[in-house]
Amino acid sequence: MVELKLSNKEAYYQQTLENIPSKTPFSEFWRKFKKQKLAFVAFFFVIALILLAFIGPFITPYDITEPDYENVLSGPSAEHWAGTDAYGRDIFSRVLAGTQISLYVGLTSVLLGAIGGTFLGIVAGYYGKRIDSIIMRICDVLLAFPGILLAIGIIAILGPGLGNVIIAVAIFSVPMFARIVRSSTLAVKSTLYIEATKSIGTRPKRIIWKHIFPGTVSSIIVYFTMRIGSAILTAASLSFLGLGAQPPSPEWGAMLSGGRDYLNMAPHVTIFPGLAIFVTVLAFNLLGDGLRDALDPKIKE
Amino acid sequence: MKKTYGWLSAFVLVLLLVLVGCSDSGSKEGATEKEGDGKKATKEGKDLVIAVADNFTTLDPHDTNDTLSNSAEKTMMEGLLGFDEKMTVVPLLAEEYKANDEATEFTFKLRENVKFHDGTPFNAEAVKVNFDRLADPNSGLKRHSLFALIKSTEVLSDYEVKFTLSEPFGAMINTFAHPAALIHSPKALEEFGDEVGKNPVGTGPFKFVEWKPSEGLKIVKNDDYWNEEFPKVDSITFKPVSENGSRIAMLQTGEADFIYPVPTEQVEGVNGKNGIEVDSKPSIVVRYMAMNTMKKPYDDVKVRQALNYAINKDAFIKVVMNGQGEKLDSVIAPDVQFYSQQELYEFNLEKAKELLKEAGVKEGLKAKLWGGNSSSTVKAMEFLQQQLAAVGIEVEVVPMESGTLSDKIWSVQNADDAELELYYGGWSPSTGDADWGIRPLLGGADAFPPKSYNVSYYDNEEANKLISAGLQTADENKRAEAYADVQKLLWEDAPWVFLSADNTLAGKKNYLKGVYLLPDGSLSVSEAEIE
Repeated sequence: MVELKLSNKEAYYQQTLENIPSKTPFSEFWRKFKKQKLAFVAFFFVIALILLAFIGPFITPYDITEPDYENVLSGPSAEHWAGTDAYGRDIFSRVLAGTQISLYVGLTSVLLGAIGGTFLGIVAGYYGKRIDSIIMRICDVLLAFPGILLAIGIIAILGPGLGNVIIAVAIFSVPMFARIVRSSTLAVKSTLYIEATKSIGTRPKRIIWKHIFPGTVSSIIVYFTMRIGSAILTAASLSFLGLGAQPPSPEWGAMLSGGRDYLNMAPHVTIFPGLAIFVTVLAFNLLGDGLRDALDPKIKE
Repeated sequence: MKKTYGWLSAFVLVLLLVLVGCSDSGSKEGATEKEGDGKKATKEGKDLVIAVADNFTTLDPHDTNDTLSNSAEKTMMEGLLGFDEKMTVVPLLAEEYKANDEATEFTFKLRENVKFHDGTPFNAEAVKVNFDRLADPNSGLKRHSLFALIKSTEVLSDYEVKFTLSEPFGAMINTFAHPAALIHSPKALEEFGDEVGKNPVGTGPFKFVEWKPSEGLKIVKNDDYWNEEFPKVDSITFKPVSENGSRIAMLQTGEADFIYPVPTEQVEGVNGKNGIEVDSKPSIVVRYMAMNTMKKPYDDVKVRQALNYAINKDAFIKVVMNGQGEKLDSVIAPDVQFYSQQELYEFNLEKAKELLKEAGVKEGLKAKLWGGNSSSTVKAMEFLQQQLAAVGIEVEVVPMESGTLSDKIWSVQNADDAELELYYGGWSPSTGDADWGIRPLLGGADAFPPKSYNVSYYDNEEANKLISAGLQTADENKRAEAYADVQKLLWEDAPWVFLSADNTLAGKKNYLKGVYLLPDGSLSVSEAEIE
């Protein structure tokens, strides 16, 4: 009897253990994130965009550089879903092929900016004192410039081209990342477990890598996602101004620029690349919003 | 959750806007098929407003090198000679003129009883004062170069004046008709000195009132004008409006009666609607792609001809000029004096490829095409890039901001150091004479940058001889012959890819008469009239 009771109890415990959801940080995040319906949709849209960036250039219905002078500026039709541009090139194909360029520019530039900014932010936050002052004052100077103006200035020095746009956007992403990472670093640094780690004589390098950096990751991810949107927008603006992608590249901003003379008579030339920029930036921003809500422990359900 | 709804509603709003935009374009397409709405616009009063693209730089014609400021100056001042609508020379303040056969002496008989706006009488002395000012090498005037050849100006009598040149110059009559030779009141020149550009006083049909660079220029009717038929309007205000869309809107709302220029892609949208007419006329502005004839492979005439065959000029005009232009069939446009038509390089890819092969040019030749960064120039360069790709030439389009561009081209001191390979550009010879359409662009080593505009670095002895032959005489027949020969030679030697001659495009309300553009792109408003 006693044995039986015991086994019953065991079974009971086992059952309850299975029922209680395992609270790993990721599953907790995923559970919260799924509740953000809009961000959830944006998440899948972004995944789709990334897929498109890889396969886009291979699935275009028309050659993106092949002109067709008999068929210029024609509106959307069954043959050309988004119409044709001033040279008779298929706009839908060009928007598809342009996905790769915009995402590439957005992701690389923000990644570079995030790496630089995170490094500076952690160094400033962890070591403090003079290093902190110097780094943060430099960031203040950079932040005092309006972003696009700073980017134009950098391009003016480096010369136009997509590579330089990436560098320009990366540079003006650095100070914001540095600031955010610094503040997280300060918060983590003053916690008890860091004090404990220090007191047993762990080296700074190990403290930073194993304890502080992981603590800042969530804010980096959120800002990273939000930043991609504005990076894509800035890159498109620079191309619109003729400072970024050069013709005949199907970069969205460059396409907008090429179509602006026809706004009155052929608005589709600007609407479709404009819509692509709009939807992409919106998706990244919504995703960023959702990630923030899901990752922020202060927000209660 | 509130935020979510905010985003959603913003999205829906934008989507709606886009849909409205789309449906609007649909209805517009239907409307363009009809030939305008036949509406007649009406106007109260006789005060005109003209919207132009840029600010005027000065109102001193002797110191002006832009066509737009010239247009404004011509309303208030007149020269001895002028141009009519077809750019042929007509007498204005001179009644007749004579030239000797060597083209070194020019005698003018002046119109009598003409007064400047300040009351000073117009006579031979006034002419001398003006041309002495222009011919003075120390004057620092932008237009000195056109008149540097004048050795002396003599007053023969009150109404007779004789110019003597230091060397023969056959195109001098056209130079006298150029807006740079407009005549200031000698009293004003004395009174205002260097400030005369802000206080223009002439003999023209309109008098100066005020000029504020950002707001515009106002002129009123000159009641004592020597030609009693004109002027027929009370006042004219010129407003600088650089934004294409705003200029069009001003014409549509009636805020402006005349606008210039109308962007080529807007013509279809406004012409014939709401009482708006767009005047499209052939101009003397030529468009070409220059090839550096000192660089390989463009030093080979076969390559240059091949490129001419490789470009579809019909498509160029349709796509780049929106149909507003003609194929260029010589180095100068038909309205330039001594133009002679050449046989077109018909679009022929096979022939182009064959010629390139004969010249030993392999597929995948890389080339850099330079040009300005305005949207129409970039469009033209992209077009050339696409066309040349078809014969295996990979062109890199390099649009440059105008400062950078002129630095790159005109700071090169030694022709051998020039980086330039291909250059897309345009030229308008504002004297209306063949000489100014050919010599600065293709006139041998004397015209190489930085001295002049020979960006093809084209230096052909025979061409140089013919060009100077055209200047050695005032005999029209001999000049015509020399220019016919040089045009044939240049056409066959093909230092350019010959593209198109522009149309000038001006928009006006259909009650307005007598305001028109000359083929060089300058504006004539002296005969303005409201119906």
